[in-house]
Amino acid sequence: MLKSWKLKEVVLMSLFAVVFGIVYLLFVHAANIWAAVIGPLAYEWMFGIWFIVSIICMYIIRKPGAAFLSETMAAAIEVLIGNAVGPRLILTGVVQGLGAEAAFALTGYKHFNILVLMLAGIGSAVFSFIYGYFVSGYAALDPSFVALMFTIRVLSGAIIAGIGGKYIGDALLATGSLRGYAIARTKKGDMNA
Amino acid sequence: MRNLLHNMNPSVKFIAVTISMLTIAFFFNPWTPLLFFVSILLLQLTMSHINWKLWLLFMLPFSIGAFGYLWTTVVFGADTGGTIIWSFAGINVTDEQWAHALSLSFRVMAFSSLSLMFAFTTDPVKFILSLMQQLKLSPKLAYGVMVGYQFLPVMKDEFTQIQQAQRLRGVEVEKRSWQRIVSMRRVLIPMLAGAVRKAERSAFAMEARGFTGEPRNAYYRPILLSRTDVLMSGVFLIILLTSCFGGIWLN
Amino acid sequence: MLKETFSLNHLSFRFPDDQKATLKGISFSISKGEKVVISGPSGCGKSTLLYLLNRLYPDNCDGSVDGEVLLFGKPATDYAPGEINHRVATVFQDPDSQFCMPTVEDELAFTLENLQIPFDKMEARITAVLELTGLTHLRHTIIQSLSGGTKQRVATACALIMEPEVLLLDEPLSHLDPYTAKQFVEWLTDLQLKTQLTIVAVEHRLDSWGKFFEREIQLDENGCLVNDHLFSPKQPILFPERSISLQPKTALQVENLSVTIKNKQLLTPLSFSVCRGEIVVVAGPNGSGKSTLVKSLCDIYKPTTGTIQSDGTGYVPQSPEYLFLTQTVQKEVAYSGSSNPTDIASLMTRLRLDEICEDHPFAISHGQKRRVAIAAMLADKRPVLLMDEPTSGQDKAALLELFELIDQRSKEGTTFLIVTHDMEFAASIADSVLLIKDGELTGKFDAKDVWNNEELLESHHLLTPKGVDRFAESFA
Repeated sequence: MLKSWKLKEVVLMSLFAVVFGIVYLLFVHAANIWAAVIGPLAYEWMFGIWFIVSIICMYIIRKPGAAFLSETMAAAIEVLIGNAVGPRLILTGVVQGLGAEAAFALTGYKHFNILVLMLAGIGSAVFSFIYGYFVSGYAALDPSFVALMFTIRVLSGAIIAGIGGKYIGDALLATGSLRGYAIARTKKGDMNA
Repeated sequence: MRNLLHNMNPSVKFIAVTISMLTIAFFFNPWTPLLFFVSILLLQLTMSHINWKLWLLFMLPFSIGAFGYLWTTVVFGADTGGTIIWSFAGINVTDEQWAHALSLSFRVMAFSSLSLMFAFTTDPVKFILSLMQQLKLSPKLAYGVMVGYQFLPVMKDEFTQIQQAQRLRGVEVEKRSWQRIVSMRRVLIPMLAGAVRKAERSAFAMEARGFTGEPRNAYYRPILLSRTDVLMSGVFLIILLTSCFGGIWLN
Repeated sequence: MLKETFSLNHLSFRFPDDQKATLKGISFSISKGEKVVISGPSGCGKSTLLYLLNRLYPDNCDGSVDGEVLLFGKPATDYAPGEINHRVATVFQDPDSQFCMPTVEDELAFTLENLQIPFDKMEARITAVLELTGLTHLRHTIIQSLSGGTKQRVATACALIMEPEVLLLDEPLSHLDPYTAKQFVEWLTDLQLKTQLTIVAVEHRLDSWGKFFEREIQLDENGCLVNDHLFSPKQPILFPERSISLQPKTALQVENLSVTIKNKQLLTPLSFSVCRGEIVVVAGPNGSGKSTLVKSLCDIYKPTTGTIQSDGTGYVPQSPEYLFLTQTVQKEVAYSGSSNPTDIASLMTRLRLDEICEDHPFAISHGQKRRVAIAAMLADKRPVLLMDEPTSGQDKAALLELFELIDQRSKEGTTFLIVTHDMEFAASIADSVLLIKDGELTGKFDAKDVWNNEELLESHHLLTPKGVDRFAESFA
């Protein structure tokens, strides 16, 4: 799978992960304080920030694996830069990345419009929720509370990761710095797909 | 003795941590995660030398999170039946709910201590090298991640520079979280545009030094497997089994 | 039979996104042991040409190549990926993005691993190359903690450890200050004498190189070869003469300013004042507190003691895009809302931004970005402009444009404080000079008193501007 990848694309995913890693650190402190007051709900709404890397990378590079690899690399980098959540993040990253990747794979990696990107955000949300259901033991919670958590996470995935990812991808494209990446070449063909 | 956790092969440690975590997740009694938490603490006390002050600082937010989990599970716990042990403001808490709540909170503590154990005793660079050498991670990905790691201080600095420059233009720091997320786009665009440039330059520099992404024949720093790893895997297994069966027995 | 190292035959190259070819009909050959520089204005395709010699292109950009590229007598396409890089090593321009490992030793080892060198040979080669390059004492140092000049030396060591036949240099000085650049060239000269490497460099500012090269291949802005001749040492850029335009009115008054951040005193109390329309160059060694001074003057850092009175200070960072917040140049200039539309229209015209007013501020040239930043600051009623290293990495045309820009604005009453290491530029433009060392202000000098004072300049890690007689005369 990696044969067809240029090194500069792999490094790009890694550096994007660093950028969002820095952003994420800014928010996670705030959420930690809220966590005491409103419990695990504090983290739910910001899950989208987690998923956004995979969506932006796929939107730019448009190669099978972009969502999965970028999310996994993002998690690995998060571990390297000393995120205290540590190695279990890698597993989380793998799962989230697979969720987004599944959405792109469903559409045959042909369409990258806003709906597909939102679907990818939802994909990450659903996959990560199933994983969290198991690891964090959501089974012990009231089903209606679990449903609320799920809804917030899906919304966060669709809005922050999906719409936000598209917005940032387009804004970055407008700066002219993405010359030589798939997004710059195919931007005309995919507008209404 | 005090070096054992530090000397453990990072991949082996990673696998041990992952297996432990996934196993503990099957248990909903309060004792298993509690036993596990205490064992990991003891392990760290005896087999590592870490900065405990820093450790406490990192543990604090997790403890807060664990508390959040405790009361959420009490209030929003699934209906499980059992005897009501106490009531408060119209909420009846049964013994089973209470056990579940404690279990989930201890689980947060157990996982956090496990994570911190890994983070405090593992050299990030060796971890990546080990993933490549023991778990056959593709060098393209491994060194890609490594480049990102080297850029962290540079990009943190850039982040500050951009924020300072933009504040000069009259951009205020937003108070509300969602507003901060939306306003983050302004810093993100120059950061990401810079990242694209840096990515290409770094990739070119690596390729110009003959890097092709192919597996390598020899390593300057071989990360080895040793008897310590067998020993420590055994220790982890014992801790895990003790916590699981001990938890069931105590329950 | 002695084969030519590189041989190009009617080479043309086009990027997939472009209509026009970047390089057109280039033919030349380079033999073993030559020291060649490829020169030309920014954007003429000289770096592209270099990347065709080390096989980074066309694979990395999917560009199309016409004509023949022979590397050591064999067509470039016959080499497997990475194969040619064992024989052709490259040092790039950006000292910050050439490394992927934490320490110097690890980075050297990374290179050896790429070459599939057996483990038992690695140690000896690392020791030898560190010895050769005089970097032995930095073996275990974290690369990111080194200065730009030292990073370039480490990058060169990483190139040399491959024992290449050719060393390619892609504007290796462009991110270095002239003082450091001069030391780097001396160091490289020494190294070349020892190794007898073939060297092919790409460079637009040749005056820093002295007599290093033997041959110069010149490209024009269209990517055509215009000259291939013996190299002759280059004179620094001649800037036009300018008349002093300061007005007898204070624009900036600094009293007793000091800055302490995290218990570290970055600036000891200093005082000075600047007139309206005055151009002040701020100079001193790296880490001496220049940036701290500039940032505290424009209110990014809060002064610990002292006062700053001004007509309003603006800031143009080395990367002007750090300031940008909107999607078009027009909106960028109008962003603060402090100026009325007429004033903005007039600013746009004076700074020649009219024709790019609908362009994205990130997608324009570096010089244009700087003009947008200046326009935005002036529109925000900040007539005292602080510029951080505006000359860094600029070619001749860009420097002349910068000179013109600053000269014009100062005539209109804008005041400039310019942080720069480039003493030729400083000597041509400054009315006065603020010298800073170790967080202390050495003093504010009349420009003409500084350029001949070699001792004063040397103690601040500055080079005497070349052609200093001219300045002494013009101010006499």
